[in-house]
Amino acid sequence: MLARIAQELFWLGRDLTRAEQTARMLDGAFHADVASAPRDRSIALSWDGVMAIIGAKPPVPGERKGAHTTAAAADGPLTIAARRGEVSRLLTLDLDSPASIVSCVERARERVRTLRDVISTEMWQALNSFYLTLGRYDLHSALQTGPYSVYHEVKERCALFWGLVERTMLRDEGRAFLEAGGRIEEADMVLRLLRVSVPPEPHPNEIDGDDEAFALLQAVGGFQAYWRAIRNAPTVGAVVRFLLYDAAYPCSVACSVDAVRSALASADPQPRSSPPVLRLGRLIADLELQRRTPGELGDLPRQLAAVQDELALVDQDIDERYFAIAALAALHL
Amino acid sequence: MRPLDKPVCTRPAFGCEPHDDSPAGDGAELDEPTNGLGHGAIGAATRSQYTYRRMSQAEPIDGYTVPPGCRDELLDAGGAPLPHVASLIATLRRLGPAALQEAGQRRDTIFMRQGITFKVADSNGDRGDRAWPLDLIPRVLTGAEWTTIKRGLDQRIRALNAFVDDVYHAQEIVRAGIVPWSLIVSRRTFARPVHGIRAPGGVYCHVSGCDLVRDGEGRWRVLEDNVRTPSGISYVIENRLAMTRLMPELFAGHRIQAVDTYPSLLLDALRAVAPEADGPPTVVLWTPGPLNSAYYEHAFLARRMGVELVEASDLVVRDAVCYTRTTSGLQRVHAIYRRLDDDFIDPLEFRPDSLLGVPGLVRAYRAGTVAIANAIGTGVADDKAVYVYVPEMIRFYLGEQPILDNVPTYLLGDERQRKEVLRRLHELVVKPTSESGGKGVFIGPHACAADREAQARLVERHPERFIAQELVHLSTAPTEGGDGRLAPRHVDLRPFAVFGKEIRIVPGGLTRVALREGSMIVNSSQGGGSKDTWVLDDDAAADELTPRLPAFNHAPELPDVRYGGWHGQQQQQATAGAAR
Repeated sequence: MLARIAQELFWLGRDLTRAEQTARMLDGAFHADVASAPRDRSIALSWDGVMAIIGAKPPVPGERKGAHTTAAAADGPLTIAARRGEVSRLLTLDLDSPASIVSCVERARERVRTLRDVISTEMWQALNSFYLTLGRYDLHSALQTGPYSVYHEVKERCALFWGLVERTMLRDEGRAFLEAGGRIEEADMVLRLLRVSVPPEPHPNEIDGDDEAFALLQAVGGFQAYWRAIRNAPTVGAVVRFLLYDAAYPCSVACSVDAVRSALASADPQPRSSPPVLRLGRLIADLELQRRTPGELGDLPRQLAAVQDELALVDQDIDERYFAIAALAALHL
Repeated sequence: MRPLDKPVCTRPAFGCEPHDDSPAGDGAELDEPTNGLGHGAIGAATRSQYTYRRMSQAEPIDGYTVPPGCRDELLDAGGAPLPHVASLIATLRRLGPAALQEAGQRRDTIFMRQGITFKVADSNGDRGDRAWPLDLIPRVLTGAEWTTIKRGLDQRIRALNAFVDDVYHAQEIVRAGIVPWSLIVSRRTFARPVHGIRAPGGVYCHVSGCDLVRDGEGRWRVLEDNVRTPSGISYVIENRLAMTRLMPELFAGHRIQAVDTYPSLLLDALRAVAPEADGPPTVVLWTPGPLNSAYYEHAFLARRMGVELVEASDLVVRDAVCYTRTTSGLQRVHAIYRRLDDDFIDPLEFRPDSLLGVPGLVRAYRAGTVAIANAIGTGVADDKAVYVYVPEMIRFYLGEQPILDNVPTYLLGDERQRKEVLRRLHELVVKPTSESGGKGVFIGPHACAADREAQARLVERHPERFIAQELVHLSTAPTEGGDGRLAPRHVDLRPFAVFGKEIRIVPGGLTRVALREGSMIVNSSQGGGSKDTWVLDDDAAADELTPRLPAFNHAPELPDVRYGGWHGQQQQQATAGAAR
């Protein structure tokens, strides 16, 4: 298929998953903020932490042009409520922020407009009405009163889209790139969440980390799955291992990486000599090895960073192998 | 006489189809009307004082008057907010009635969508789903208040547990002449088949939920003990979750103790009492079935504990060992959290006509191969006639003074007390001893002369089957009336405790509120609602400022499209199109 179309599909998957994961993450952070009484947190799913997850700096009110001024007292430290307002606005409504839900959905919709011949009409309609719904919402006041409904809507709409992919899209090369994009983004976002949330030093009394481990599970929507699989009160170590390695949990990093590999392997005419497929194969084996060797909680930050670096290289390999040829057009080569 | 308030308490609380002889004490117990009825003393004239005023006031709390003789949970007698809720009330004023009304609509939508509903019968007797009635204004307890309640309940549960152990073993409290043996054996809940069986770890009352009320002087009193299958904890957790979603503003500036630890506390307790196993013990939750009024809660707890929700047909006893039937054959069960009454659990030992039971379960229990929570026979401790003796039990078994008082209660088996009660029947509440779910509760001040006469005859015929209690002036709390304004409504409190290795009590509990003005009947099937119950974390100063966070790692920047060559082309297309 056309390299340009393949890249669009790949990024369509990435954008939608990014929107969904951001919604889940904000929902989790919101819950952690409002509901728990964090005294010694072993996990920092705080508002600044959320910004760190997407690799951005915490917002400073007044600095950004046109920033909303709920946090009026620019000099003093931000109150939690003001910080909550600022961060959730930035990541939900802000069109300038690449991770904000609105801009992810908008980009996804722009891409889909050029892909009408590749995808099914039902998928287009689902995504387009998603986009229109977000526009119809008074998002700003919805965020003020109860962001829950906004995030719930985002999650449902994304699930609808992926459900329609499953139901209506031909299992062809295009779908493989769409899925590869979705799953690589999923792995990437979960890794980010874990990297920020796992303490640099292991907490002395890990058992008491319940609240925070709960927030972490909430933030990926894996709470019930965790209980059914592990049947023990969540602790930080157990939750991290679950989200990283558990093959039965569809959003674990191991599971997502595996899905990316099989998608690319099916799309690639020569998977046995394809750098991204080979690299993914090695990563899967590494994860399996880590799962089987009992690790210390102290090792986790290093392991997480290594896995994410590897994923970045995979992303680059994918670009080189499949999409770079389209970019040459722009250079008139 | 206000017929509306008469407890017609035959319907289980969250009441699905009540199979009338409902095997589970469960939902039914939550349905208990709070017998307080303080307003019996308040005449119709004074009642209009706190009539909720429909005036064009901008603020939701204006025109709020605490009913005479009652305490309010959030305001003092003059209508000013108590110090610990000052900021909460200020937020409510700022939000105004419109925001409350709007949140109320969102609440109903969310609850309907999540399926958190209960069935109510309309005037035609048709049953329809109604969203779980959560009031938007939380009830707030200070940390110090909660410590008292917690210590009091801890003490009470330890005493009740010791009593159950004693009843089925040495009967020392009977020998000491404190509780008459004839009273104990005549209880319908006395379980002869478990005589001499000691539950693992000596724990019988694994799960309990005592009903507390605050009287007119502000003292906490225990209205009754539920140590069979108290229900309501799922609503405590759902209420908190819903409140964080509906009214996040209210939480600002408060540190509130978390409630969602209950399922893991319960699971730990069940594992702690399970017999030795090779691997981790298998715990199951046994429900009477989806028709039970508390089925929602059973499913909720099973889901949150990650254990299997089983029905009688899933369990089987072979050679005094209990198993579940699974796809891979019979699998051993080590601990059962059962949500149905003793009478129904084993047709070989209790009611032979029970279809919900597992034949041979008591044999397995006696052999010690399976732990059952609550233990069989605990019903004897939550009987209303035994309730009278609980303060004595605390002194006898623990050598302590009771921290929480009983409501003054009279045993009608005693001739002198009976005479006095019959004389004052118009002021008292009379309850049958072995019932739950508020069945047959008689409320003196609300009864007409004929009813009083009938009740007196009942009491005289079977005096030992009834008790009488003084009225309690239940405290009130500001409650949203559907149009965004607040009015005082009466509340009670049911905290939930779990007893495994030690007693753990979830901060707060279920606050039930009588949504009808002046009513003290809090059952949800009769227009009762619930409130989120906050226990403030006093140790942690509620600092508004960003707390110092531990250092965390930063993730790299989000990846973006690396080769986006044709976007330039697109732009050119667009400008070319526009120029043409």
